[in-house]
Amino acid sequence: MSNKRWRALAGTLAPSAAVLVVAVLGLALDTYWQYVLAISISAAATGGALAMLVSYARCITIATGAMLAIGAYGAAIPVVWAGVPFGAALVFATALGALAGFILAIPGVRFRSHNLAMVTLVFQSVVIIVLRESKALTGGAEGIHVPPPVIFGISFADDAYFLLLCGLLCALAVLPIAVLLAGPFGKNLRALASNENTARAFGINVRHHLIAAFTFSSALIAFAGAVSAPRFRIIDPDSYGVLTSIFTLAYPIIGGMGSIWGGIVGGGVLRVLPELLRPLADYIELIFCVLVVGTLTFFPEGLASALWTGRRRSRTATSSSASTREWQAPRIATSLSEAESVAAAEDETSERPMLELHDISKAFGALRAVKGVSLTVAPRSLHGLMGPNGAGKTTLFNIVSGFIPPDSGRVLISGMSLDKVPIERRIRLGMSRTFQHAAVFHRLSCLDNVMIGLGRNSVLQGATRSLAAALDTEEIRAERYAALSALEAVGLGARAQDAAGTLSLGDQRRLEIARAIVSRPRIILLDEPVSGVSVEEAQRLRELLVMINRELGVTMVVIEHNIGFLVSLCQRISVMTEGQILAEGDAAAMVSDPRVRLAYFGEREAAE
Amino acid sequence: MVVVGGLKFGAIYSLAALGIVVIHKATRIVNFAHGAFVLAGAYATYGIVEAMGLGYWPAYLLVPIVTGLLAAAVELVTLRPIRQSDMFALITSTIFIGIGLSEVYRLVQNTEMLGVPNPFPGRPIFIGDVIITKEQIWVFAGAILSSLIGVAIFGYARLGRGLRAMAANVRGAMLCGYSTDSMNALAWFLGGALAGLAGVFAAPSKGISPELSISMVTAGFVAAAIGGFDSLRGALFGGLILGLAETFAAAYVSSAMTNAISFLLLFIVLLWRPEGLFPEAKIRDV
Repeated sequence: MSNKRWRALAGTLAPSAAVLVVAVLGLALDTYWQYVLAISISAAATGGALAMLVSYARCITIATGAMLAIGAYGAAIPVVWAGVPFGAALVFATALGALAGFILAIPGVRFRSHNLAMVTLVFQSVVIIVLRESKALTGGAEGIHVPPPVIFGISFADDAYFLLLCGLLCALAVLPIAVLLAGPFGKNLRALASNENTARAFGINVRHHLIAAFTFSSALIAFAGAVSAPRFRIIDPDSYGVLTSIFTLAYPIIGGMGSIWGGIVGGGVLRVLPELLRPLADYIELIFCVLVVGTLTFFPEGLASALWTGRRRSRTATSSSASTREWQAPRIATSLSEAESVAAAEDETSERPMLELHDISKAFGALRAVKGVSLTVAPRSLHGLMGPNGAGKTTLFNIVSGFIPPDSGRVLISGMSLDKVPIERRIRLGMSRTFQHAAVFHRLSCLDNVMIGLGRNSVLQGATRSLAAALDTEEIRAERYAALSALEAVGLGARAQDAAGTLSLGDQRRLEIARAIVSRPRIILLDEPVSGVSVEEAQRLRELLVMINRELGVTMVVIEHNIGFLVSLCQRISVMTEGQILAEGDAAAMVSDPRVRLAYFGEREAAE
Repeated sequence: MVVVGGLKFGAIYSLAALGIVVIHKATRIVNFAHGAFVLAGAYATYGIVEAMGLGYWPAYLLVPIVTGLLAAAVELVTLRPIRQSDMFALITSTIFIGIGLSEVYRLVQNTEMLGVPNPFPGRPIFIGDVIITKEQIWVFAGAILSSLIGVAIFGYARLGRGLRAMAANVRGAMLCGYSTDSMNALAWFLGGALAGLAGVFAAPSKGISPELSISMVTAGFVAAAIGGFDSLRGALFGGLILGLAETFAAAYVSSAMTNAISFLLLFIVLLWRPEGLFPEAKIRDV
């Protein structure tokens, strides 16, 4: 176990160690190469910072040049004009970068893709205009002279000393980003980049996460800008222009989007490519562009990762799906129910309805999708919801889980009103769900998918859990154990490390169920859990759901068109049509109810 | 006078924005390489007018075809293989394609700035105190006319119907016998042609340099955003609004304000009316 623990820590420290090693090895080279390596190392830090924003959150940012400038000027101006010590100026510049990232993100994260790119471009241009116009402070277009850093009276003017300082500082700066990206925070970013709605249902506040990503990464970029500035001797606004921003965007893309390494290696290599390829210096920008477009076209995971995944793919191909393997009876009782469950204990005593809907209505323009629906679901029951397409079932689910605010009506869970509770908090009240189109996070492993299902996903929790993951604490191991137990409960224990996207549809549905139960919810909303899966698989999923319901005491509300499945699973069924509850009652009775048959077989017009 | 100048640039922006909207409507991609297409159009104009000495008429006819083919080729080679990827990959690609094309221009043509002569060098017209050059009238009228032709093609011709069907529902359009491949190529061709025309009209007054690429993609984006990216009419008005706002800012505040004003407009539109001032259709809830 302690061996494993070391490996987690070593993996997180490795990027910093690599930066440091490069710096130390560089001491053996001549001063020109020491200069080049110092620039390379600070670009590696920039690339690492961009990995968070670009590789993980998949945001297009064209403000990197501005952030570098904010760091460079933010450190240089206090040193030059006020004689502030370099260390303090560095801290100030980093804080300024964090603030700038925060300010950019506040309007920025309201948008995605092209609009976000444009907002960052606006920010970039405004910063450069301000730098150019505040001549008294920044020297305007001519720039400002930056003295070599002085720390404790030691001047780092010498190339070797500077390289060492640069390596040490950048190694330190990369560490927090490495910790965050390797841990749950990075996984949350990946999750929200692949499916925002699902991420929100599991407590990931997309806005907060993106703001945090912008803030962290801008702080580190500003830091890198501040560290590298003395090496350029003179800094001017033009060196931090739009083109700089765009070419830094290439770092993580070419280097690889799979981990922080892509950004670090990409930055370290690409920044000094013009130095390495002197004869081609004129063509270097064009080469960059061709590399980026080529990478995106042929190796969407990045050039470096392409080599890695080529090796890994052969391994995943051999592991089989749970449905084709010999079926193992799920065992839930063991680990999962041992886990603490305040929720379940509470329910034993209260006999309040688990879920109450009072007169819910919702209209989309002229379409009245839900018209005054009231529904009561008993605790620990399996409640079915059926009805023809367009009856408003999924809309009702979306209202209950908080994606859509109802026009009128109330939703109560165990008697508690959900009026003011945002989606991201509902999982903490013991509500979980699955989606009509199996919405697993394809790029994350099954285990990570389920760990997100724990719902401990606020930015703060993400950050502290990332630290815990780096140290492999007791707490994070307990979480992993709970997630593994949930996976085993649904029969996916053997696939824990495989990417969720490689699973069959039936297995993805199982994974969704594992993710939904791992937080020990009081109620799960299942939206068409067996659509698109085989008859045998549906049968097994039914057994699984019944077992989960019985052993964990979880209430389930199930939407399903497969009526046979629904009748065999649920005790009570509500039938919806045209936004209203048409009938409700005992499962078997509902199927033979003439009104229900009418609605389902579409003889309505004839009957009226 | 300011109004006339503003309308002239506005009409050019409209043309650039229309191309962005056409491509976006049909393929959901906001094309950041659009400025490079405009630059290509301006450069081709230089080739035809200056290098070959053929005068302007061939330029108006040939340039849109050249840039249209360039745009279609870009779609075919770089974007089609990744059509299934997310917006991140698609948009990043267009950003780097745009920079790459500008780089090619910079490498081929080492001079800082190329110029083409004024197509209508004649004496300006005086209407009271207002001085209007023939060039201004020609560019405004020509650009607006080209825009209207673009709108007409998109709106009425069979090809336009296919593109709009594609925009509304890819699968439905495919079932109706429209091929995604050829429709995408057509949309990019049409968008590229519009960008090329913007280049022809912009070349005499804006000059030809890599700067043109960045300024035109920004202006086109802002104009398209004012229109909500999906409305041709909106892009048309967006361009004119932007042109007027920029020239007014330059005339009455300071010339450094021209960039700032377009960013300000963009911010106002994005924050208060993200669906644009001329929303074409309500977003369906899914």
